[in-house]
Amino acid sequence: MNHERFDEVKDAYVLGALPEQERRELEEYLAAHPERQAEIDELGNVASLLALSPPEQEPSPELRRSIMAVVEAQRPPARTRSWLAGVKELLSVRNLALGAAALLVIGLFSWNMLLQGQVKDLQGQVASLQDSQQSRMVALAGTGAAQRAEAEVILLKDHKAVLMAEDMPRVPENKTYQIWVIEDDVPQPSGLFEADGDTVAAVVEKPLDEDDVIAITIEPNGGSQQPTTDPMLTAKL
Amino acid sequence: MVDLRRQYLLLADEDLISLVVGSNAEAFATLYDRHGRAAYSLSYRMMGEKQAAEDLVQDAFLKVWRGAGSYRTERGSVRTWILSIVHNRGIDQLRSLASRRRTQNKVEASAPKSEPSEAFAETWSNSQREQVREALGTLPPEQLKILELAYFSGYTHVEISELLDLPLGTVKGRMRLGLKKIRDYFDSRDVAVPR
Repeated sequence: MNHERFDEVKDAYVLGALPEQERRELEEYLAAHPERQAEIDELGNVASLLALSPPEQEPSPELRRSIMAVVEAQRPPARTRSWLAGVKELLSVRNLALGAAALLVIGLFSWNMLLQGQVKDLQGQVASLQDSQQSRMVALAGTGAAQRAEAEVILLKDHKAVLMAEDMPRVPENKTYQIWVIEDDVPQPSGLFEADGDTVAAVVEKPLDEDDVIAITIEPNGGSQQPTTDPMLTAKL
Repeated sequence: MVDLRRQYLLLADEDLISLVVGSNAEAFATLYDRHGRAAYSLSYRMMGEKQAAEDLVQDAFLKVWRGAGSYRTERGSVRTWILSIVHNRGIDQLRSLASRRRTQNKVEASAPKSEPSEAFAETWSNSQREQVREALGTLPPEQLKILELAYFSGYTHVEISELLDLPLGTVKGRMRLGLKKIRDYFDSRDVAVPR
């Protein structure tokens, strides 16, 4: 796609009216010419006003209930935290109970030992949970053709990380996505991945530290030693 | 719990999104209560029937729930973001399923065109909606029809050209003029285009 063709079809693009092949071509053009992204953003904002024009319709209460039921079922992190807090509280109560029992009722020594065993088990579970809580997620910001993409880096223990991405634009033939970890302004190649489905996952090969920056570019097949295109997605850790 | 819910009602959309990133279901429910109606209205306009419209809204809001971390303030308001998710998913669905709906639209497209004043006659409670209504009301019917076929029905510019028996260049030209006229409406009043 050239400049003239871009000007010709950009209105159709923001209205969602380009066939798949043309849409991909325009997004590849945008990736190569990020200076034209502002035009698309401005036009897209105007086109999005159409979303406010339909006559208002009231959704059914069942729809809300149905959505919230899925949401409630899909929030394991909050439940895990709540359960963890409960375990900690339980531990505190149990410890107090242990102290009181030891001072007041010598004859209950064996019961006391049993409780201590339970406390150790619970402490082990807490430590295990705390380990699993050490992972955290950092969202990557997309530009150009990757604006619609959703990507996150999941930081695990020992500086390991996994990249999860959704709705990444397809890359041209003979090209691939490459992950970079930028430490002290020096980009280091950290893995390749293809975006041939809705969701992709890729291991970040270089260990990550605080203050590193992670970036994704499009590179020739096999990857590059230095980035040859502008980053499509970035995040500072 | 009631006090907590009241607090959520006072929060800006951007703050609610931050809470949703942390899997806060109450914040998510507040966002749904604010924007679910607009999302459903758009969805119903695109899908044309209740069940498909509800499925699309559910799909879109679950994407909001799972993908709240990808929202970027600089790209537009939370409402625009949510509606764009509904729109993009709706277009995908219309294009993959299509034929029944397309036949229906073909009939609509060949029927006498309604005047914008009739198409947007209902009362608008929201001032932004009212501005948008007025802006669209300034469009000639032939431009508005092409924007609607593209935006709500998922037709490509080539398909619109075939459907309306117009040269492709004319379709592109009307798209360009239609969008420009909407922007000009706000520029002429020295008002920023709503985000």
